[in-house]
This record gives sequence, C-alpha cells and structure tokens, in this order.
Amino acid sequence: MTQPSPQGAIIWQRQNLRELPKFRDGTGYLYLEHTRLEQDGRGVRAYHPEGMLTVPIANLSVLLLGPGCSVSHEAVKALSDTGCSLLWVGEGGVRLYASGLGETRSAARLHRQAMLWAHPQSRLKVVRQMYAMRFPEGLPDDLTLQQIRGREGARMRDAYARYSAAHGVKWDARQYRQQDWDRATPINKAVSAGNACLYGLAHAAILSMGYSPALGFVHTGKLLSFVYDVADLYKVEVVLPVAFREAATPGDDLERRVRTGLRDHMTRLRLLERMAADLVHLLGGDDPDPEPSAPGDLWDPGGNATGGKNYAGDDPGSRS
Amino acid sequence: MLVMTLEAVPESLRGELARWLIEVQPGVYVGNASALVRDLLWDKAVQHTRRGRCTQVYRAGNEQGFVIRTHGDATRRVVSLDGYQLVAVRNARHTELSREYAPPEDDDKL
Repeated sequence: MTQPSPQGAIIWQRQNLRELPKFRDGTGYLYLEHTRLEQDGRGVRAYHPEGMLTVPIANLSVLLLGPGCSVSHEAVKALSDTGCSLLWVGEGGVRLYASGLGETRSAARLHRQAMLWAHPQSRLKVVRQMYAMRFPEGLPDDLTLQQIRGREGARMRDAYARYSAAHGVKWDARQYRQQDWDRATPINKAVSAGNACLYGLAHAAILSMGYSPALGFVHTGKLLSFVYDVADLYKVEVVLPVAFREAATPGDDLERRVRTGLRDHMTRLRLLERMAADLVHLLGGDDPDPEPSAPGDLWDPGGNATGGKNYAGDDPGSRS
Repeated sequence: MLVMTLEAVPESLRGELARWLIEVQPGVYVGNASALVRDLLWDKAVQHTRRGRCTQVYRAGNEQGFVIRTHGDATRRVVSLDGYQLVAVRNARHTELSREYAPPEDDDKL
C-alpha cells in the first residue's frame, strides 16, 4: 500500500541491501552491559546506565551483549535487517554464549566453503595457505603438515617470549580456566579478554559474509572451529601487543583497558577490511550476491532447476 | 571538517563563529579549521555560552573518524564505551527503566 498513513508517517519499502555498508566499511564492536534495547522508529535505542543511547546499528559490525542486557523482539528485527551481528557474551566481554544472524542471505559462499572443506586435497591447500599467512618470509613447499605445526608452535612461543621481554611481564604458560577466572594471572586475563574481542569480530566477519563458523579447516570438531581458524591468523599481531602493554601498566579495569586499546590498534591495522578480504581470498574468489528476494534454485545433478515454479506438468506419469 | 552548533547563546558569539565558519542553518556552523583554531573556538564557545548549549564535532584519526564534545546540556552527555563515542540522553523513560536495570550496587562478588 503506498497511500500515506493517517499520521503522515513515511511508509518504508523493504530494506535495500545495497544501502548497507559492507562489513569492511563499518565500525568494529560495541559492548553493552545492564542495558535494555528497544526499537525506536527505524532504529534501536539502548537504555544504558548512563542514559538513553541511539546506536548507529547499520554502521556497527558486532553488538556484544554482556550481563544484564535485554533485547526486545522489534530491536532484534531492526538489528538483523541492517546486518549487525548480535553476540551474547559473559562479563567483561569474555566467553561467547550465542550469536544471531549476519547480513548475507545467499548460500553461494557457504557452498564454496563446504566444497573446499569436504575434499582432503583442497582442505589441505587452504590449511597451508592459512599457515603461510602467518609467516611473512613464506613456508617451503616441501614441509609436511606436522613440520608446519611445529614451526607455528615455535612462532607462538617466540612471540610470547619477545613481548614478555619487551614489557617486563613475566610469562609462564597460557592458562584459561573458566571456573577460576579471578585467580588467573593479569597477563592471562588480558590475553583472554583480547581474544574474546577478536573471536567476536572473526565470528561476525564469518557470519556477515555468509560463511559457516563450524566448518573449520585447521581446527575441527567444534561449532566455532572456523572462528578459531580466522582469529589465529591475527592473534599475535592484534592481541599480544595490547595485552602485554596493558598488563604491564598498573591499575584496575584491566579487561576494559585491553578492549579500549584493541579498538585503536584494530583501526590502525585496518583489521575489518583485511579480515573480509582475507576470507574471500582464502576461500577462493567471489560472485556478486544474487537478488535477495528471488526464490532459491532447486538442485539437480545436471545443473540447478529454477526455483519458485511448479513442475507438476513435467512428469508424464502425473495426473495433472 | 569541523561542525559546531549553538543554541540560546549571546548574539556576539554567533558573530564570532561566523567569522571562521559558514552558518548553514541558524545555529549550525560548518568549515575547516586547524586544530589550534578549533580548540580556541571551542574555548570561546564554552566561555560565552552562559545558559545556552553548544556542541563541536571534528574529524579525528580514531575508529569512528570523528570526535564529539558537548557543553551546557545537562540531559545529554557524551559517553565513551571502550573508546566508541555515543550520546547518552537522560530522559524520563531512562529514569523509569534505570530502577529496573540498574547495575548491582557494588562489586561484591559472591
């Protein structure tokens, strides 16, 4: 109906997906605690302890909801329309509980990911590519996967040792115990808080571009295997410098300081842009999204049949 | 890029801003200025606002690409959430809900 409504309000057409900024153009994440999210006209307003916030959701990649948050049904609808990923996380943005839906409605990228994942040869190729990305000097082609894993282990150990020496923070071993959070060493807490942000962002990038977080290449068996794959590509470069720097600084609020520091660091590294480009590069090229409102095709071994059509007349045996 | 807005301020302050910036709409000023001039204009605006309100938005190298400052409005404040700037409005609905959704009184972790 295109008649003006009695109140003179604007009648909006369906959201044009082209209006939506791509993942790489948006801002990273927003973490909220003790906040109630409600719809406000076409947008979302957040009742935060500080006051009512109007959140520019179409520009935001991830909304991390901490303890004490509640979201109305209409707010979730507005968020999903604009492709803002919702993640429910634990206190301080650590631990990931659940997630919403990203912005792609096409399954083309997921199909390509599944195809690459399903054949051992193509999967190995992606795994090698992922490891190669972490070694700027490149990896010799004749290394076995076992040797590559060895080099990766050494790279991580060296990175921790290097930052530990640079910031004067003692480093023993990485430990992460959910039950015993408060007793972890500050540097372990800082790394965990930073990793949680990076996981959130990787998860949002994967969902927002239409891939599956479960089909991991290096990691396997978990529902978030691919999230760990992607996050591992950037962990040393993104999380460690900030975590060690903040752990070396005395004061309270370590987790918050790590998150704030990460925001600046991620901007400097243009991480969102790189993540999106790297995902497309790793999983082999890209096609433009098809018309989102068109019906999907029907699979056929000889090539897909057009969907949204009744095939009752095609079978000579049918009585129509 | 620099944007300033003025509301209910003395006439002479408007004239002062108009010397540097273009008045696009009553009370809305746009232009380009160096960091030094921008800060001086802000100091001047804050000093002479009296009971009125003023805001300033300018380009910066942070994630959002800009910085917001406000002065004179008790119901609207700029909050920084992990370095992301948003404007918090303390309206009636917020007061009503804040009783329900207030964070726990203290960090008495059990």
